[in-house]
Amino acid sequence: MNTTDLIALSPLLIVGLSAVAILLLISLRRNHRAVATLALGGLALAMASIPQAAAVAPHHIAPLMMADGYALFYSALLLAASFVVGLLSFDYLEQRGEQREEYYVLLLLATLGGLVLVGANHFVSLFLGLEILSVAIYVMVAYARSSPLAAETGIKYLILAGTSSAFMVFGMALVYAQTGTLEFGPMAAQLMQMEDFGLALPGMAMMLVGVGFKLAVVPFHMWTPEVYQGAPVPVTAFVATVSKGAMFALLLRFFAAFEADEAQPIMNILGLLAIASMLAGNLLALLEDNVKRLLAYSSIAHLGYVLVAFLAESSFGDEAVTFYLVAYFISTLAAFGVISVLSDGKSEADRMEDFRGLYWRRPMLATLMTAALLSLAGIPLTTGFVAKFAVVAAGVKAALWVPVFALALGSAIGLYYYLRLVVVMLSPVNPTDDSNSEATATDDAMSTRAPNPAILRPKKVPIGPAFALSILAIFLLGLGVLPTPLMDFIKSSVSELR
Amino acid sequence: MLNYLALLPTLPLVGFLILTAFGKSLSKRSVVAIGVGSMALAAMLTIGIAIHFLSAPPPGHVFEQHLWTWFQVGDLAPGFSLYLDALSLAMILVITLVGFLIHLYSAEFMRDDDAYARFFAYMNLFVSLMLILVLADNLLLLYLGWEGVGMCSFLLIGFWYKKPENSKAAQKAFIVTRVGDTAMAIGLFLLITQLGTLDIQELGVRASEKWPVGSGMAVAAAALLLGGAVGKSAQLPLQTWLPDAMAGPSPVSALIHAATMVTAGVYLIARTHALFALAPVVLTAVMLIGLLTQLTAGISAVHQRDIKRILAYSTISQLGYMFFALGVSSNGAAINHLMTHACFKATWFLAAGAVIIAVNHEHDIFKMGGLGKKLPVLFWTMFFAGCGPFFSKDGILAEVWFSDTGGPFLWLLGLFGVFVTSIYLFRLLFTVFLGPLKNDVHWKPGLAITIPLVILATGSVVGAIVEYPRLLGYHPYATGTEAAHASPYLHAAIGKIAVGVALAGIYVAYRLFVRHKHYEAGEVVVPHITLRMRRLFAAGWYFDRAYHAAFVVPFQATSRFLRSELIDRGYDAVVALVQTGHRQIRRSQTGRLRWYAAGIAVGAVFCLGAVLL
Amino acid sequence: MNPIPMEQSLMVAAMLFSLGLIGLLVRRNVIFMLISIEIMLNAAGLAFVVAGSHWQAADGQVMFLFIITMAAAEVAIGLALVLRLQSDLPTLDVDAMDQLKGGDDA
Repeated sequence: MNTTDLIALSPLLIVGLSAVAILLLISLRRNHRAVATLALGGLALAMASIPQAAAVAPHHIAPLMMADGYALFYSALLLAASFVVGLLSFDYLEQRGEQREEYYVLLLLATLGGLVLVGANHFVSLFLGLEILSVAIYVMVAYARSSPLAAETGIKYLILAGTSSAFMVFGMALVYAQTGTLEFGPMAAQLMQMEDFGLALPGMAMMLVGVGFKLAVVPFHMWTPEVYQGAPVPVTAFVATVSKGAMFALLLRFFAAFEADEAQPIMNILGLLAIASMLAGNLLALLEDNVKRLLAYSSIAHLGYVLVAFLAESSFGDEAVTFYLVAYFISTLAAFGVISVLSDGKSEADRMEDFRGLYWRRPMLATLMTAALLSLAGIPLTTGFVAKFAVVAAGVKAALWVPVFALALGSAIGLYYYLRLVVVMLSPVNPTDDSNSEATATDDAMSTRAPNPAILRPKKVPIGPAFALSILAIFLLGLGVLPTPLMDFIKSSVSELR
Repeated sequence: MLNYLALLPTLPLVGFLILTAFGKSLSKRSVVAIGVGSMALAAMLTIGIAIHFLSAPPPGHVFEQHLWTWFQVGDLAPGFSLYLDALSLAMILVITLVGFLIHLYSAEFMRDDDAYARFFAYMNLFVSLMLILVLADNLLLLYLGWEGVGMCSFLLIGFWYKKPENSKAAQKAFIVTRVGDTAMAIGLFLLITQLGTLDIQELGVRASEKWPVGSGMAVAAAALLLGGAVGKSAQLPLQTWLPDAMAGPSPVSALIHAATMVTAGVYLIARTHALFALAPVVLTAVMLIGLLTQLTAGISAVHQRDIKRILAYSTISQLGYMFFALGVSSNGAAINHLMTHACFKATWFLAAGAVIIAVNHEHDIFKMGGLGKKLPVLFWTMFFAGCGPFFSKDGILAEVWFSDTGGPFLWLLGLFGVFVTSIYLFRLLFTVFLGPLKNDVHWKPGLAITIPLVILATGSVVGAIVEYPRLLGYHPYATGTEAAHASPYLHAAIGKIAVGVALAGIYVAYRLFVRHKHYEAGEVVVPHITLRMRRLFAAGWYFDRAYHAAFVVPFQATSRFLRSELIDRGYDAVVALVQTGHRQIRRSQTGRLRWYAAGIAVGAVFCLGAVLL
Repeated sequence: MNPIPMEQSLMVAAMLFSLGLIGLLVRRNVIFMLISIEIMLNAAGLAFVVAGSHWQAADGQVMFLFIITMAAAEVAIGLALVLRLQSDLPTLDVDAMDQLKGGDDA
């Protein structure tokens, strides 16, 4: 290990060291604010070290890791997402009087796992990254100890994730048995020379189970609504973004090493999974009344959309994947950020009812939520539109007609439930305190469960989330109007992949 | 002056931003100053641009302004670029001038509404997006405006959101037009993949190089665009949303659902005419859709009682005429009718809004009567405005007679439509304004309502005489019909027959609704028609009911089916084949976690099966 | 003594894996489900060792070490969660854990 290696790995090292530093700090003194500051500082510092690392990129830290523009781009994305989650978490945890400090250790470790995944170039680093990420998330989803759902959520996620990991590891073993190497590049070269993939093909198929589980594509999606609903909102945001994004980055790197037609059976499977996800995800979300579950179902569909661009297997497709993930990160974080800010110490604002009339109570938050939902729906002038456009363009270019058709169909369905939430936010909250309230007879049937009073009361958004949400809002619309700089940057970052 | 073109959509946009940001803290006076003021500036700017454009035409009678490149995906780099020619000039004149007058009217009309600022914010946003739609030089930017105006329409139909049926109408409008928009989006992707550009002018050039006339691709592309136009312009079979859209305030109906947004479909077809010219089959379809729409909607209009629904069906019918003209490649006639219709229908909607207020929010025309003496301004503006479109329509009919695809038979059907039009228009006018007085009127329209009405009515009458597109250098009868130029007198004569028929229709309406004995009952429409038929017409030919049965019901059923996680259980069958522990799973279906584990197992089996088999 | 062919050893690992999976699907007790996952992971570990010995490389055994480490971490957390769950529900039956579900409550 030489200096260049250290510089190239500095984001990982900083995040890892911050986790250790927090552990030490907690053993000395429990102070939520200090710990949170340290964690956020660590994440910011790690982000600041990326330009340094980029100066030595592409750098191969033999044999485990690859620090190229691609890995660093995704590292920056994951770090930024974790930073936002950290900002949201502070105020969320502040309202709940539990042991809060260890949460940040887990957050940093999970991020570290994600960073390892996006740089992984070897089965060992893949496995380590995946497990660091997963094990930390097991605890994070069950972190709210006062919640009766926490332990159930945790157990469910743990058993299902453990199962999928076992599939993945077994698949790796089969691929290794066939090729005799654990490193991605030589592995692909080896397989390319063989007449057929032999054991490697079922091996890759089994690995898809692990990948599919983390990405939550049909039929490995069933944990999503449960975990999204049961986990604390910031953790849900983390699971929805960092965990999925890191896994997708890995998937892209792994398959970019293969020639297009060699891995065709695997691509066919992924194509079917993508179509099933786009249709089932959107249909499941259609009448869902819990906003967290709704976003869970919609995320199933979104990962299906990204898979369409992935299936294009071109640098153009890689760019589309990356841009889509960025857009998905921004929109999802903004949506969960609003839910997080609306939640109070006792309950979370995750029912449709909690959003009724939000536009009249908290116009800024409602507007941001609307923008996030429109972006997820792919309406022009939001970043989601440009992203979806790029994905469809990539799919069309690769003549993936059936997936593109499923995408169009899924988007059409999807618009319904996004707008449904927008309409709910525009509807009046309480007929009695509005001067002009003639007919709300049908509304009454829906509002048998009264909205949480704390959610209705306008209150000031704390500075941390306010900062995070404004940044997200700027990117949400800014990248919709002027996406070219980011697209060019992505283009130069992912160009080394193929 | 032309260089300020980009300012045009910006002005209302700024108005929108100010009103959204500070709307709550502004006084009503300042809201008017911003909301109407931005429109006044835009209207003046448009006039300036029009004068410049006509007095010192830019080279090729086209002015392009490139602002910035939106994004670059592959070879495709759609820009924020504006394109001004005679066609878009005609459109921006309608949008800003009629738009300004409607804003002015709204300043008085909406005065008592709490959400004054919100109303003008949405209206300003709408105008801005509509201007982007018609000025876009590429289809993607056009699509942005297209979706944007759809969103504004959604917001404004549901403006009085406290009534649930208004929200429902808004959703219906959005979802139905969505069907067309999806077709259009697919069409855009088809064009990108096949021609590699979305620049409208470039598209025309490349399409005619690459595709022979009548080739499958050209037909598909044109048909998909037509799908979008049909949805937006409320043509058969997607017309059902417009009558319900009347739930919005009257100025909204006037601006969005009569004068501007609904004409976007007409504009799209005229704009991409080069593509449609390569697909004669689709053009014929445009013509037939227009013909059928104008007949069915016209007949429905005769059977409505709600004043705004009559106007809604009338709008659908008049849009049908524009499609009719487009279908015989007579874009000029279509745009001519578009412009006079915009003035005419805006007048009628605004006047109808004023009538509704005057008679205490009554919508049923048979509960009104004799208002002509109380509200003479409304009566006379409506009367004169109502005469204008018959002249632009005679132009369309003459074109149909002489075109290759049209002919005397279709002309005759169109003529029947004219007859129906004059019946339902004057049925409304006579019933509401003539006869004995039935209502108390305590309200008189103020200047802010009267002035726009008078100007718009004048615009409609003047339009009938001078043919606006001709003034703008967009020759009304430029395309297709050599025969017409061979015998201009015959052309004129054929057209004038329509005016005669219209007069006949007015006379019939007069006989039926002023002189007829049964007029008081309010039920007599056309004496020999059976009750069942009449119900069919009044219900808009039952399209809604059919759609509900054909799409809404199965869709909801599917979603319910999927939501009960039956899809998960569907994996059972596969599990039974490959898992020995299947029986125990079946026995304890409540075990959700194990269901999920089973899902993973089935997925794994699927993956393995796919590669091994 | 003839070495055991790799295919046969992998078959053993696959059978072990299937047994673990079946156990996971049929067992209702959380502890047993965790054990089943352990069996599946160990099957994967066995496959790695087999493959490693086939290629005469230490890679397989290294992977196996990582796998047991990770399995231990997972079980540690799993048992901690089981303890907490035990205080809420007086049973280890996973079928009793159905507070989180969609569809019928909405």
